[in-house]
Amino acid sequence: MGNRGRRRPDEDPWRRTVKNARINLSGLWGLMREDRGTFALALASLVVAACLLYLVPLLPQAVIDGVLGDEPDRITATSRRLVDWMGGRDHVREHLWIPLVWIAVIAGLAGAATYGRQRWSAKASQNAAKRIRDRLQDRVQRIELRRFDQLESGDLLQRCTSDVDTTQTFLSMQAVEVGRALVMFLVPLPIMFATDWRMTLAAIWLIPVILWFSLHYFGRVRVVFREKDEAEGRLTSNVNENLVGIRVVKAFNRQAHEIERFRGSNRDYRVLDERLYRIFARFWSLSDLLCFAQQASVILVGAWLLVTDRILVGEFYFFFAAVGMFLWPVRMMGRILAELGKATVAVERIEEILALPVETDRPDAVAPPRSDGRIEIRDLVFSHAEDAPVLRGIDLDIGAGETLAIVGPSGGGKSTLINLLLRFYEPDGGVIRLGGVDVESIPRAVLRGRIAAVLQQPFLFSRTIRDNIRLSAPEADDAMIETATIDASIHESIQRFEAGYETVVGERGVTLSGGQRQRVAIAQALLQDPDVLVLDDALSAVDTETERTILEAIRSRRGRHTTLIVAHRLSTLREADRIVVLAEGRVTQQGTHEQLRNAPGLYRRLWEIQDRAVADADGAEGGDA
Amino acid sequence: MTDATEPEDDFKPRHVDWRLWRRIAGHLRPYPRYVLTMVGCGLMLAVVEVILPLITAGIIDEATGPGRFERIMTLGASYAVLLACFALLVWRFITAAGLIATSVAYDLRESSFARLQSLPFGYFDVRSTGWLVARVTSDVTKVTGLLPWFLLDLGWGTTMLVGIFTAMMLVDPQLGFAVSVIVPPMVIATWWFKRRMLESSRRIRATNSRLTASYNETIAGVRTTRMLAREHTASAEFRSISEDMRSWTVRNALQSAVYLPVVMSLGSIGVGIALWAGGVQVREETGLTLGLLIAFMQYAMLFSQPIQELAQRFVDLQSAQAAAERVQELIEETPAIRDSPDVAARIAATPEDPPPGIAPDGGRALVGTIRFEGVGHAYVEGERVLDDVNFEISRGTTLALVGATGSGKTTIAGLLARWYEPSEGRILVDGVDYRERGLDWWQSQFGVVQQVPHLFSGTIRDNVGYGRLGADDRAINAALERVRALEFVEALEGGLDFEVGEGGGNLSQGQRQLVSLARAFLADPQLFIMDEATSSVDAETEATIQNAVEEILRDRIAVVIAHRLSTIRRADLILLLDRGRIVERGSHDELMTAGGRYRDLYLAQFVDEAERRIIG
Repeated sequence: MGNRGRRRPDEDPWRRTVKNARINLSGLWGLMREDRGTFALALASLVVAACLLYLVPLLPQAVIDGVLGDEPDRITATSRRLVDWMGGRDHVREHLWIPLVWIAVIAGLAGAATYGRQRWSAKASQNAAKRIRDRLQDRVQRIELRRFDQLESGDLLQRCTSDVDTTQTFLSMQAVEVGRALVMFLVPLPIMFATDWRMTLAAIWLIPVILWFSLHYFGRVRVVFREKDEAEGRLTSNVNENLVGIRVVKAFNRQAHEIERFRGSNRDYRVLDERLYRIFARFWSLSDLLCFAQQASVILVGAWLLVTDRILVGEFYFFFAAVGMFLWPVRMMGRILAELGKATVAVERIEEILALPVETDRPDAVAPPRSDGRIEIRDLVFSHAEDAPVLRGIDLDIGAGETLAIVGPSGGGKSTLINLLLRFYEPDGGVIRLGGVDVESIPRAVLRGRIAAVLQQPFLFSRTIRDNIRLSAPEADDAMIETATIDASIHESIQRFEAGYETVVGERGVTLSGGQRQRVAIAQALLQDPDVLVLDDALSAVDTETERTILEAIRSRRGRHTTLIVAHRLSTLREADRIVVLAEGRVTQQGTHEQLRNAPGLYRRLWEIQDRAVADADGAEGGDA
Repeated sequence: MTDATEPEDDFKPRHVDWRLWRRIAGHLRPYPRYVLTMVGCGLMLAVVEVILPLITAGIIDEATGPGRFERIMTLGASYAVLLACFALLVWRFITAAGLIATSVAYDLRESSFARLQSLPFGYFDVRSTGWLVARVTSDVTKVTGLLPWFLLDLGWGTTMLVGIFTAMMLVDPQLGFAVSVIVPPMVIATWWFKRRMLESSRRIRATNSRLTASYNETIAGVRTTRMLAREHTASAEFRSISEDMRSWTVRNALQSAVYLPVVMSLGSIGVGIALWAGGVQVREETGLTLGLLIAFMQYAMLFSQPIQELAQRFVDLQSAQAAAERVQELIEETPAIRDSPDVAARIAATPEDPPPGIAPDGGRALVGTIRFEGVGHAYVEGERVLDDVNFEISRGTTLALVGATGSGKTTIAGLLARWYEPSEGRILVDGVDYRERGLDWWQSQFGVVQQVPHLFSGTIRDNVGYGRLGADDRAINAALERVRALEFVEALEGGLDFEVGEGGGNLSQGQRQLVSLARAFLADPQLFIMDEATSSVDAETEATIQNAVEEILRDRIAVVIAHRLSTIRRADLILLLDRGRIVERGSHDELMTAGGRYRDLYLAQFVDEAERRIIG
């Protein structure tokens, strides 16, 4: 992004509002406002599913104690109700398939509820993720360019992609898993306590330890994770650097040295990666041991209560099965809670983008009728930072249909002027009028529709050449496109491609040379048939002969639009009616060729080069500077 | 930036290519102990898991029946011992998995990196750096991350299935068969769903990379989009991709939302079957105890795990297959330019430390003249970029190549350094075809300065020292001095210890050029290839660079892809190239007098340099 060099190191473009990355998910709650209902539905089916799931082991309990057992009087109230519901002890005893049918039915219902839970949570979280993505894309398109130019594109892209992924994972998996663990743990507790408090305690006393253990562990593992990620980063940049510089490596025949160097970072990464495995080995084995100890305590306490005749086998079975149902979700919960911080940070980073200022039009902005392309610039002032003015008061009149060339040393303010004309930037003072109308009172979209600008490094989208050109005038037919490409001297080059106008360019297609890209962009601009045509050093990669052809073609269109050319060489300037020299934010000279050739200054120095070159070639004493 | 865009071929559904995976498994050969540990642990884990329900059954039966305290304690103790074993096995196999995954990954990274070092330039011309980096990093991680778990689950899953079945058969065959009824539908459901989920997750990844590409365009094309005032259309296009993403992700979630309940319900039905068939036996008092009945009910629930895990491993294989193919291909790639058997034999016959004047390949170490004889070249068959090039240069002379972009200048330099070999004609080194000389020796005779000099991150010392490994500070300082770079280096913070940053980013472009010249100077090569920078630097640096170049070119055979008038003027021989052919040749004075295309080119270049000095 263009103006990175201007950014001062101490300046944080994000202007963080949230200071510390504490667990603060209210932002997320706001982002998913529209999906709260669906999430509630998911939560409801989660509770229903949990209740039904615990019915599955309750039925065998009822059958074992109330039907198969010898002491039907001692069974729990729940078991009695279930046995009665299935038709009473004797009936079930004769028809033992009845419990099977009921289990199948309840399991099926539980399955349906689980399906509902996953369906609604998936819908809610994916809808939220889509909405976040769309908002981000929309926002990125409209951020004030002055701010946008300060951002790192890689970081911005990462916020739009991986931070959204992290948020989405949190919504679709982690939040749901935590909810599930809680519900799975809480739902059976009343039944368990009602059955036998000693068994209940035997089934849950280790839970705090298990939770604490995984929370604590994953909190600590994060450090190792970070170290591993850093080592991986070093490894990757080592490979990357080697491959970028592979020609140097080969030129100096340093392959063995490079392999030796790579071995170092390869080894570092391996050591940390393996350490992580070891840590995980300890975590999983110890937490498995804790979970199993919980189960074992159920068995041992159960055995003691069975021997002392205080519980029944079926009850024992239920406790055993129930522990197996909530232990593992609870263990996972610790891990998820420990990783919650990641989601918080991601949401913050997303919100920072959404909080950036966007381009807005004045409320009273209206689209004026098509202008004659006349431009008046009065006392235009602009600076990126307080003490570094870029434009120090520009006054300029460009007549309708005129071709004006702007020339000057780099940093003189040429591109800034174009940025202000297109309202990419807002001036600190002064005014620009197009056809007599202040550009600030014209909606941006309308203004930009009247001005076609070609930049030095034009951007083409990943689509066909025809589609790229047509972007400026969607209703244009093929004949109009061809006229534009002929004027831009790119028609023949396009036809030479195998797929012609249907050739896909950009990241996923053919790579065009700089000059070809510039000419395609010029064709695109010409097709737009604008009031003002701006060529911002847009012919730098085109050879002088082609440049002349293009400029002549544009000239022959003269009268149709005003043309502004930012030029870097004399050959470009020659085609202009009038020339403006811009240096240190001011207009230092302006006039026709004749006027400027006769006045000392930058233009005359340019003009004299040619003579010196011939003199030099003829062996005369001319020097080259 | 992370390499977010995966190549499309990852998303094509495919069958498991066992021959490929056998070759991948070959990388496990150095680690038989770890492999045995993995499979062994898996096996023993399964045995423990199958035995545990039986012990629970024993405890229940003892507690409800005779109630002998010692017997319960014995059973409880063995339960505890098995649990400890279980935890120990878990610890052991994860450690072993770590050793396998990280060792094999280390090996694969090393051999793929080493392979990349030996591949010729042509290989890198057609592949992007990002793509290649992903082969060495993420592809290797993807493949090796799955190997240990595949081994584990092969041992654990199969033993588990066989174990549960055997245990049930031993206790009560009839009941065992009844419970096992749930296995076939479970297998079928798993297979059916996993395949569909694999497909939809592929779609998710493909859509995700489209999404990233679209964001990328939004960011990179931000000015273009606004200029064309097509924000609304762009948003609409984006929305259709994000909608695809949403719907594929939901579809994938729905598939698993159906799958998991189906498998769990099947397990519950297994419990019901056990309760029914076992309940009948308990009622009829055939000898089946309540404890054993509960054990069967547990077995019914256990069945689903190994089936799910095994299926997942096959899915993993399929999704990592493309990565495995690319890694294996890279490792097996043979360099197109290498020593012929004859040359290799001569190198082997020459002593490690050859006598003075003799090169490691047995030939003469000093290079006198180089001759191009009818040299033509085509990088891609049929697209000739160089045609019938003839010239000779000898020690102490400089050859300047001039001409438009694509005229073949760089190709001549590349052929000379044998980064490519000519498709026609010969290149003779003192009368011997250079393919008859050792490749390593030949390439180490060159000093190369690129148009955009590449510096490695590290200090100035590291970078200059790259020219001659092991050079001391005196030699490095001397080299910097000779190219007039010492002054600016000493002004930097830390001097030689100044960190140049990634790609030399902490230095200005002119400084980078000087450092790269010092690096080349330190190497003190017999031959020199220089691609002159086209970009301008300030006048003072420009003069310094000119002096440095002059210093370097002295007394060597030098080939310069020339852009600067001063360099061109000084060359002994100038070749003007046009579309791969030499159109004019001679010294500067000769060519100027002739007044041909060279003169036009010279004038244009003069104007260009002067204009840039004024406008910049």
